[in-house]
Amino acid sequence: MKFSIQKDRFAQSVQDVLKAISSRTTIPILTGIKIDVTEEGVKLTGSDSDISIESFIPQEEEGKILAEIEQPGSIVLNARFFNEIVKKLPLDRIEIEVMNSFQTVIRSGQSEFNLNGLDPEEYPHLPQIEEREVFKMPTDLLKTIIRQTVFAVSASETRPILTGVNWRMEDGRLVCIATDSHRLAMRKAAVETDSDAEYNVVIPGKSLNELSKILDDTKEPVEIVITDSQVLFRAKHLLFYSRLLEGNYPDTSRLIPTESKTKLELNTKEFLQAIDRASLLAREERNNVVKLSVIDQDTIEISSNSPEIGKVTEQVKSRSVEGDELRISFSAKYMMDALKALDGTEINVQFTGAMKPFIIRPEQDDSTLQLILPVRTY
Amino acid sequence: MTDTWKELSELQPVVLKMLKNSLEKNRVAHAYLLEGDPGTGKKKAALHFAKSLLCEGEEPPCGNCRNCRRIDHGNHPDVHVIEPDGASIKKQQIALLQQEFSKAAVEADRKIYIIEHADKMTASAANSLLKFLEEPASDTTALLLTEQYQRMLPTIISRCQLLSFKPLSPSILKDQLIGEGISIPMASLVSNLTNNLEEALRLSREEWFAQSRRIVLKLHEVLQKQSLEAMVKLQEDFNSHFKDKQQVNLALDLLLLLFKDLMMVQTGKEQDLAFPDQLALLKNQALHSSAGRTAEQITAILEAKRRLESNMNPQLLMEQLVLKLQGGPSFV
Repeated sequence: MKFSIQKDRFAQSVQDVLKAISSRTTIPILTGIKIDVTEEGVKLTGSDSDISIESFIPQEEEGKILAEIEQPGSIVLNARFFNEIVKKLPLDRIEIEVMNSFQTVIRSGQSEFNLNGLDPEEYPHLPQIEEREVFKMPTDLLKTIIRQTVFAVSASETRPILTGVNWRMEDGRLVCIATDSHRLAMRKAAVETDSDAEYNVVIPGKSLNELSKILDDTKEPVEIVITDSQVLFRAKHLLFYSRLLEGNYPDTSRLIPTESKTKLELNTKEFLQAIDRASLLAREERNNVVKLSVIDQDTIEISSNSPEIGKVTEQVKSRSVEGDELRISFSAKYMMDALKALDGTEINVQFTGAMKPFIIRPEQDDSTLQLILPVRTY
Repeated sequence: MTDTWKELSELQPVVLKMLKNSLEKNRVAHAYLLEGDPGTGKKKAALHFAKSLLCEGEEPPCGNCRNCRRIDHGNHPDVHVIEPDGASIKKQQIALLQQEFSKAAVEADRKIYIIEHADKMTASAANSLLKFLEEPASDTTALLLTEQYQRMLPTIISRCQLLSFKPLSPSILKDQLIGEGISIPMASLVSNLTNNLEEALRLSREEWFAQSRRIVLKLHEVLQKQSLEAMVKLQEDFNSHFKDKQQVNLALDLLLLLFKDLMMVQTGKEQDLAFPDQLALLKNQALHSSAGRTAEQITAILEAKRRLESNMNPQLLMEQLVLKLQGGPSFV
């Protein structure tokens, strides 16, 4: 294998794939970056077996020659050293050549490194992707979906399936659900697709967080392919693979109440700030619980009482209050997470009693939904 | 690591037959407990079995395909090996394993984990593993390796298929040692002391061990003379050479093997001696003693070993033993 390549572009790609590489892996080969050189260009792969990132540098882009390929081939090089070396090389051009028994020479200007490589044959195989079952969505929509759901996944490993986000494809619509059994976040979105395939998979929350970090905020479409064991997100020159969680996701459709006894319309920002203030005192307590009571037709009260510290009450104007009177307690943290995830300046909150879960939706938008279970306090 | 089924089957015929049958009949259990003395090939068999399950070659395990090679090098993403982290296997290690296994396999449709020294799991680690073993996914295979299977939780044992590895017969080890260039007398002795090829090689090449062997033989020779010279010998060489409890224990083992050889000679079995080079001396001694007397002497040595375990002063212990070996029970 022998090629030379433009340094900045190459260093950027190395940085991208490095995000997938974990320093504390038990599998020695995964400490490395895999470099595949073909006539079309140079492909870099990094993986921690949960997620894998591939970055492709074409041989030529927009009339500019990025890489000169002399001889195709593959090698795996230690990621930590390779990254440092590439960043610090003196010239704008890097030449990489693999000698016998995976010895790799990296040259730039007068400097020359010899790195011991590993056998590329031993690197994990990434699944072969079938092109037909692809669906597309804009990058910024994908990032929004992730932001609005992934915070609600369970942090505890007692039920591993809940550490992921359930992605369900039905009739060309994507439904994403995350829950830790105390709250639930749901987002629906229309996607572009040619096939009418139906999926029901669970993607680990951690993988989605990583994906969100490496994607830019653009309107460019991301192609998504789902296989039995992995999901692939393909952006321009960047492929992101994640393993799926095994098992059946619990049926959440029956959890979401369809009718409501009390309905509030609130300004998101005012409500969020009131909850935030009330939680200042509640935070010290174990559960961070605040209480909401309906006062009259256009006022609600948020209060919190920690006997050892003090108490707080605040009245918040509501545009409308419909239905029964209500006093309900819930976790301030869950409420703030949910409010931050919602877009829109006005929200609807629908209650079905003090002991039943309640839902929060932006006004005139039923693609997003947040559900929170109340806390029993009296 | 080029062992084939055949080579392993020679060492552990029963275990390998069971593994092979489960593969052929496609009835692989979800968990196996591999139990046996150190050096009996548990790890080799476990890796071999993992290779057979994942091999892509014609005759699994071929040892040459990508999967086989990656298992050998510890690079296969679906084969996880857990070793004690320090003195024990911690709960966190099992938790990581559980996280790993909540996800779909990376490549193959089968995931394998091997836990070495499974008896060294802490109580909480064992309990986490138990929960994991109780709800096996259809495509996972657990291989637990242990040298002390009675120290495992009974609830874990009951969820695994038990595979007992037989101790190696001394003659196989002896042949291996001779193959490594160890002299016949040394190979015979060492193969009677341990099962583990590596430990055997270490002992055979150790100066201290050769010296020990010489001192014990000398002591045995002096013992025959029915004089107090044995006591002097004990003070001269023995006590300064065998210093701590383990070393005295080894000396007693050597002495025990010597008397066992004497018994063998007396009963007319002159093959497979631990000290084949002492045959002439032993024959001579056999004429002066009876099998009953030898049995008494062996009992005395075993008794001394037991007292050593209960922390008797080694010097007094040896002096008493020498008197017993010389004069018999009537003397002391």
